[in-house]
Amino acid sequence: MEIKLMRNILGANDEIAAQNRKIFTERGVVVMNLMGSPGSGKTTLLEKTLTRLADKIKIAVIEGDLFTAKDAERIERAGVDVIQINTAGGCHLDAPMIQKACVSLNLDAIDLLIVENVGNLVCPAEFDIGENFKAVVLSITEGDDKPLKYPLIFKESEVTLLNKIDLLPFTNFDLQSAREDLTTLHPTIKIFETSCTKDTGLDDWAAWLLGKVAR
Amino acid sequence: MHEATLAENILDIALDAAKQNHAAKIFKVGLTLGEMAGVEVEALNLSFDVLKKNTPADGAELVIKRVPISATCNKCGKNFRLERYNFFCPECDGILILQSGRELLVEFVDCE
Repeated sequence: MEIKLMRNILGANDEIAAQNRKIFTERGVVVMNLMGSPGSGKTTLLEKTLTRLADKIKIAVIEGDLFTAKDAERIERAGVDVIQINTAGGCHLDAPMIQKACVSLNLDAIDLLIVENVGNLVCPAEFDIGENFKAVVLSITEGDDKPLKYPLIFKESEVTLLNKIDLLPFTNFDLQSAREDLTTLHPTIKIFETSCTKDTGLDDWAAWLLGKVAR
Repeated sequence: MHEATLAENILDIALDAAKQNHAAKIFKVGLTLGEMAGVEVEALNLSFDVLKKNTPADGAELVIKRVPISATCNKCGKNFRLERYNFFCPECDGILILQSGRELLVEFVDCE
């Protein structure tokens, strides 16, 4: 016999993501899901962001990593609460992992929770964790073809950071073409050009992020 | 490689449906997957074939239907099927809102 189901394959994850979202809203926490390839500069960007915002709002960080606590140790040095999730080879964070991590956070004392996802342009885009918005870091050395090669993550993200922009003269990265691809794929996407070594574009980015929390 | 997670969820949904309908054997599991959903079908089949061993779905195969990406203009309201990922309306200055192409569904289970 054929049984009609029409059941969402990620339904179990989405249900917990909805619970997370409800709790975050009730506690007044804005949550950003920060994604990007390994080596795109997510953790360095996070350090630079914390330097700019830590005296203005209360921030906590959840660090997703395959095996190590290296990133969490870096973030801890910036003086914010950080929780490490080791996925033990898992390629993305999911809603139950965030739910579990939040037990040890005092959400009432937090304005902004930044979740640094596992470095990957594919899987994290498919898993709702209960965030308010997603952000994706694309570094110049990865190439300008990535938005159309990995459309889902750029479609899902409200903002893209074109990072390591100082390396532009040394690569064949076509900035105009990348911007066009990003905009045709996601007409309302916000784009920042940043460099964490030259401190380019970071004040604008931090101001935008602060605006997301103040709203 | 989140296909293992997806395959695990698919198997759980199928086994649950079979159990509820007092079926001992699953023959087919029908999936509806959007073209824009991040799924590698080969990896999904491979994961499913490993996970199904020694379950009522041991001999089951995945029957996969892909759904094309379609979107509706937020201004003129026309519907378009997207071949490339261009979300600007080809007929006016509106923006296309995704209608289909993100599906990740277990559509049916064939069992007895």
